[in-house]
Amino acid sequence: MSILYQNKAYRRTIIISFLLVFWLTIIIIRLLQLQVFEHARWKEEVQGQNQDEVKILPKRGTIYDRRGDIMASNILRKSVYYCPSKGEPYELRIEKINTLKDVLGLSETEIRNIRERIKKNSPFIWIKRKIDQSLEERLGKLSLGGVYLVDENKRFYPHGKLAAHLLGRVNIDDEGLSGIEFRYNSILKGDKGEYLVMRDAKKREYLIEVLKEGKPGKDLSLTIDETIQYCAERELEKAIIKTEANWGTVIISNPSTGEILAMASYPACDLNGPPQNLTILERNKAVHYNFEPGSTFKIVTFAAAIEDGKISNQAIFDCSQGYIPIAGKYVRDHERFGVLTFPEVIVHSSNVGTIQISRSLSEDAFFRMIKAFGFGEKTGIDLPGEESGILRPLDGWTRSSLAFLSIGYEISVTPIQLLQAINIIANKGIVIPLRTVNKKPDFPKLPMETNVERQRVISEDTARKLTSMLERAVQEGTGISAQLKGYRVAGKTGTAQKIDPSTGNYSPTSHVASFVGFVSAPNPVLSMIVVIDEPKGRYYGGEVGAPVFRDIASHVLRYLEVPQQKDYLRNIRAENPWRRAER
Amino acid sequence: MLVVAFTVIVVFVLSFYIWHQMESVRIGYTINDLKKKVKELSEEVEKLEAKRSQLLSLERVEKVAKEELNLAEPREDQIIRDDSNL
Repeated sequence: MSILYQNKAYRRTIIISFLLVFWLTIIIIRLLQLQVFEHARWKEEVQGQNQDEVKILPKRGTIYDRRGDIMASNILRKSVYYCPSKGEPYELRIEKINTLKDVLGLSETEIRNIRERIKKNSPFIWIKRKIDQSLEERLGKLSLGGVYLVDENKRFYPHGKLAAHLLGRVNIDDEGLSGIEFRYNSILKGDKGEYLVMRDAKKREYLIEVLKEGKPGKDLSLTIDETIQYCAERELEKAIIKTEANWGTVIISNPSTGEILAMASYPACDLNGPPQNLTILERNKAVHYNFEPGSTFKIVTFAAAIEDGKISNQAIFDCSQGYIPIAGKYVRDHERFGVLTFPEVIVHSSNVGTIQISRSLSEDAFFRMIKAFGFGEKTGIDLPGEESGILRPLDGWTRSSLAFLSIGYEISVTPIQLLQAINIIANKGIVIPLRTVNKKPDFPKLPMETNVERQRVISEDTARKLTSMLERAVQEGTGISAQLKGYRVAGKTGTAQKIDPSTGNYSPTSHVASFVGFVSAPNPVLSMIVVIDEPKGRYYGGEVGAPVFRDIASHVLRYLEVPQQKDYLRNIRAENPWRRAER
Repeated sequence: MLVVAFTVIVVFVLSFYIWHQMESVRIGYTINDLKKKVKELSEEVEKLEAKRSQLLSLERVEKVAKEELNLAEPREDQIIRDDSNL
């Protein structure tokens, strides 16, 4: 009995042991298979399920105006993407996209691109990025498998179209495309960060490990003043609509520091609008547009003549004929002036007188003066797309070049170059580089940074004499519409005929009207250039540009609390020389 | 007796290890939630600042002043300047 029992027990033990060993062997084999032979595959699978390497796009830096108001910042928007699951039929994928098409308003081009990605079996497909908040809820109700939402930063411009050309725009990946956004892209954009996110079975994140620390973009403080910018844009828009002009631009600066306080161009558009509408912002006419300046360029001619020293203030010029022949053409004044003294020539903007003055100059001296004022070269302002204008080299000049150049023809300049030229006069002959960004992160009132590069262009005496002449031009000459009660203004008008591209000759109906000047007393507090392209009806710089200068400057001076001067509190002259000319 | 003591120690150590792991994960959830909250609040602050800036944009202020409050630009004779420093 006991032997039998012992045999049975022994057999059972053997069988159970064998089964256990067999089971253990299978377990070990399976473990070996999973942990050793297929280790890499399963590790990848697990990591795919509970670990994600997430790249975080850096937040773009905020752009502030000089007083700390936000000009450009970021807001969170949802982006829609699609991760097709394995084995999902192509037709089902397309059906999902067609459903999304109606909700998100996808264009045919976008649909085509998505279909191509689906055909290529892409694991990740952007459907629409940075969608409006209204679409988020509608999308949530659809609950389409494989369609997810992710937060992304979207550039937001709280003031819409304010300073649109200057600020520029960014693309969908927040890379600067134009303006300040492009010029300072490397500072604003920051560095991407990488994180390892661990998730549990319910996809809840429980550990975030920083693989690479991302850096948000740095903030930027502009020299632009939001209020001055707004004044400039409002008055420019009024003038363009009133004169039915094509476009216009205004730049305002603080001549003693080189800071640009406003840079306005019209037409402009809302920077938060659809990207296809924003293409007009790619060219900032204030720094890009080349034009023949006409009479505003006479400031260079007079600077050269004063520096030359051959002509005294008492010298007289016979302008009684009202025209002067140059190379078979007649250059005319806008009215007959009779005999004018040296200062009166610029005060009344006589072409005939200016050409006579230019005859006292050597071509070489005049060319050097033009170059010294910075024409033919970029000013170096910190904005993209700046043009250098067109100044022919001296050996390319004809016999008539000196005469035509003296009255602002045969040369192309940009508005910013003309502003720099008037700043040289305002700064007593010294050129101070122009800029749009404050190097310091504080926002003090004027005057500000003075530690800038200084280079003398004309003598202080020449600048003083020229300032006096330009003040007379506003008091009694062509710039009378720029007068400001309580302030001394120095400025020069310009009216240049445009070339008709169809004939290649100067058009009798197309003009560029301009005014460049500065508020000169007690110290130059602001300088401004106004350029208006092809105004209809009245087209003289004194009629179109000078009033814009006056209207903007009166607001800005009040805003800056610049005290009026007693000497200039008397009533300004009521008579407009342009009306006199019409009579 | 020794075996029992050893088993108790092993069980205790294992329990402590499991508790520690569970607690680490739980704290991980809390930290992550708080980080998210901080981020959300920062985003909200930034959004509100942008909104404030938008509402105070001069174009809007001027429109409200003129159209809703019937205000107008001051005439020259309505402006009194402090000329004491002239």
